[in-house]
Amino acid sequence: MCAQPVTDTPETRWQKVLYERQPFPDNYVDQRFLEELRKNIHARKYQYWAVVFESSVVIQQLCSVCVFGVIWWYMDQGLLAPHWLFGTGLALSLIGYVLFDLLDGGEGRRKSGRTRWADLKSALVFITFTYGFSPVLKTLTESVSTDTIYAMSVFMLLGHLIFFDYGANAAIVSSALSLNMAIFASVCLASRLPRSLHAFIMVTFAIQMFALWPMLQKKLKACTPRSYVGVTLLFACSALGGLLSISVVGATLFALLLVSISCLCPFYLIRLQLLKENIHGPWDEAEIKEDLSRFLS
Amino acid sequence: MAYQGGGGHDHGPSPALYPVSPESLFTCRTHNICMVSDFFYPNMGGVESHIYQLSQCLIERGHKVIIVTHAYGNRKGIRYLTKGLKVYYLPLKVMYNQSTATTLFHSLPLLRYIFVRERVTIIHSHSSFSAMAHDALFHAKTMGLRTVFTDHSLFGFADVSSVLTNKLLTVSLCDTNHIICVSYTSKENTVLRAALNPEIVSVIPNAVDPTDFTPDPFRRHGSMTIVIVSRLVYRKGTDLLSGIIPKLCRKYQDLNFIIGGEGPKRIILEEVRERYQLHDRVRLLGALEHKDVRNVLVQGHIFLNTSLTEAFCMAIVEAASCGLQVVSTRVGGIPEVLPENLIILCEPSVKSLCEGLEKAISQLKSGTLPAPEKIHNIVKTFYTWRNVAERTEKVYNRVAGETVLPMDKRLERLMSHCGPVTGCIFALLAVFNFLFLTFLRWMIPDSIIDVAVDATGPKGAWTNQYPYGRKRGGDNETSKTR
Repeated sequence: MCAQPVTDTPETRWQKVLYERQPFPDNYVDQRFLEELRKNIHARKYQYWAVVFESSVVIQQLCSVCVFGVIWWYMDQGLLAPHWLFGTGLALSLIGYVLFDLLDGGEGRRKSGRTRWADLKSALVFITFTYGFSPVLKTLTESVSTDTIYAMSVFMLLGHLIFFDYGANAAIVSSALSLNMAIFASVCLASRLPRSLHAFIMVTFAIQMFALWPMLQKKLKACTPRSYVGVTLLFACSALGGLLSISVVGATLFALLLVSISCLCPFYLIRLQLLKENIHGPWDEAEIKEDLSRFLS
Repeated sequence: MAYQGGGGHDHGPSPALYPVSPESLFTCRTHNICMVSDFFYPNMGGVESHIYQLSQCLIERGHKVIIVTHAYGNRKGIRYLTKGLKVYYLPLKVMYNQSTATTLFHSLPLLRYIFVRERVTIIHSHSSFSAMAHDALFHAKTMGLRTVFTDHSLFGFADVSSVLTNKLLTVSLCDTNHIICVSYTSKENTVLRAALNPEIVSVIPNAVDPTDFTPDPFRRHGSMTIVIVSRLVYRKGTDLLSGIIPKLCRKYQDLNFIIGGEGPKRIILEEVRERYQLHDRVRLLGALEHKDVRNVLVQGHIFLNTSLTEAFCMAIVEAASCGLQVVSTRVGGIPEVLPENLIILCEPSVKSLCEGLEKAISQLKSGTLPAPEKIHNIVKTFYTWRNVAERTEKVYNRVAGETVLPMDKRLERLMSHCGPVTGCIFALLAVFNFLFLTFLRWMIPDSIIDVAVDATGPKGAWTNQYPYGRKRGGDNETSKTR
């Protein structure tokens, strides 16, 4: 472009302003061009073992689904007596219930203001209703083919895993949807069991597995991380063991999946983090950091 | 390409015949310019008024200008605006937010017909949100026309949608001759987004017609008034207002707010007004027409802008031109727009904006604010459309001297510049586009397409026919000597 020769004396220093006519062509590129460019200011540095620890939430949930499947298979084959499962489940639930309060010294309970009487009431209401409706559950899906039921359960359990609240702040996370999908899968599977008592116990077990157990896990993770790691390992081993008793190939694949999630994925996350190039500058949309809802309440 | 030899741009003598002085180059050469954008009157906004005002000033400078946009409801076909500005409202389907759908092909027959019959030499597309603008760039390059693009907005890099749109922008701009941005921040942003050579990006700010925005201190009310004029949407920071209004109203009993504009966030302001019983002190005017903005602005003492992102922000220039003290967030290109003594810049938070407003209020109370007339006289020299047109003309002159990439170079550039996958896809599309164009040229050769009567430009029928036009032509002369 045609413009006066550019002299870089202090008087004619280029300024990043629009209101002054400057003796530079419009397409002039100053040394200060892009000086406010910042890279990766929000990028986090990850520690390998910390990421492995965090991945245990996913491991736990995968194992829950696996254990649930294995137990259902045993019930379906008649290898596991429903009374026995109910007894064990009840005992473990009681232990978990006590632990749940012991872990944080009853602080969570004080905060929520929920009484033990209320807990007992909801437990009773739930058990009564499930027991009452279990004959209905049993015959609910009689007109649907078994293949459809299996396919539906698989999709529902996958959905449960996808929408589960692993602690990420994403739009896709919905614990309500996740729990509902798991319960739906359990109802589908329970309806294929031999008797209505089986169905009742299967649904109760699903509630323990998908609703109560993650709550306890969360508390364990927050209060005693060490024991949480132990519990995760133990849980993963028992899930693997259970699967091994059904199918060796399945157990091998499941073990590979667990190893890749807990060891390989964190490794790749950290490796790929080095390639991250997140650009920031004055053109970024500003964020409102305050909580403005207080002015309206 | 074929018709270019047939006298497409031989209006005015070639600059090479003249001694090489920039002045003669700028005044003697005229271009046939086609502005393309989805956004034009009757739609209202920054892009729309930019296109209109720039076209008017270019016509005044002797260029031929036509505008191509899509049909707005009943407004379709060809219309003439002031000074014979010809507007084509094309029957293309609107997809989202007044932007047409893009297939990169369906608009070729129509656009080619227009480019040929109007003997267009330079395609000037506006706004990265407009699909039609990108389509026109794509077709123009296939036809071998020079291309200019003006970017009016800022974009982030963080989320998926911006990653995708930035990729498309890279494709669209990699072989465009020249790009115009409205502020230096916008230039940095566009250069990064589209991976461009910064040398082909010019910064030409928007402008404001200072005669439309004159101060009128007698319209001010006795008490202090803060004016806000913006669309009430998240990006304009309407949420911040819900914190500022109650805080300041509690502190200053004689403070009023006037808020012009409409949008989904209006409900928040209504809630605030309800909650704090401020019906007599906070006036919500609703949607404003552009001609009414001045009458609202002059009622206030302080103008508040809470935008979270802004490439240029015409609103603060309009407010300053009306003599108001401006308080604004320090985002995007805003710090470049007004000198420090005319604007108080704050961080985008309730606390910082309240501090800025309190500073302005204390200045107002102590009478140390400059008089509105004085502010107006300073601001009116900053941004004028004539200046914008002059600078844009320089871009056109530069572009006219450049060569358009031939097909093989263009394909190479697409593949080397836009990444292996996207590059190859768009190179393929460019080939299809070329084949389609060849087919159209075989169906209707350029030679049998009628040449349109020029309304504007050197042989403009409008200026020769109407006495008003001749008068304006006289104006034109004076503006040139100025």
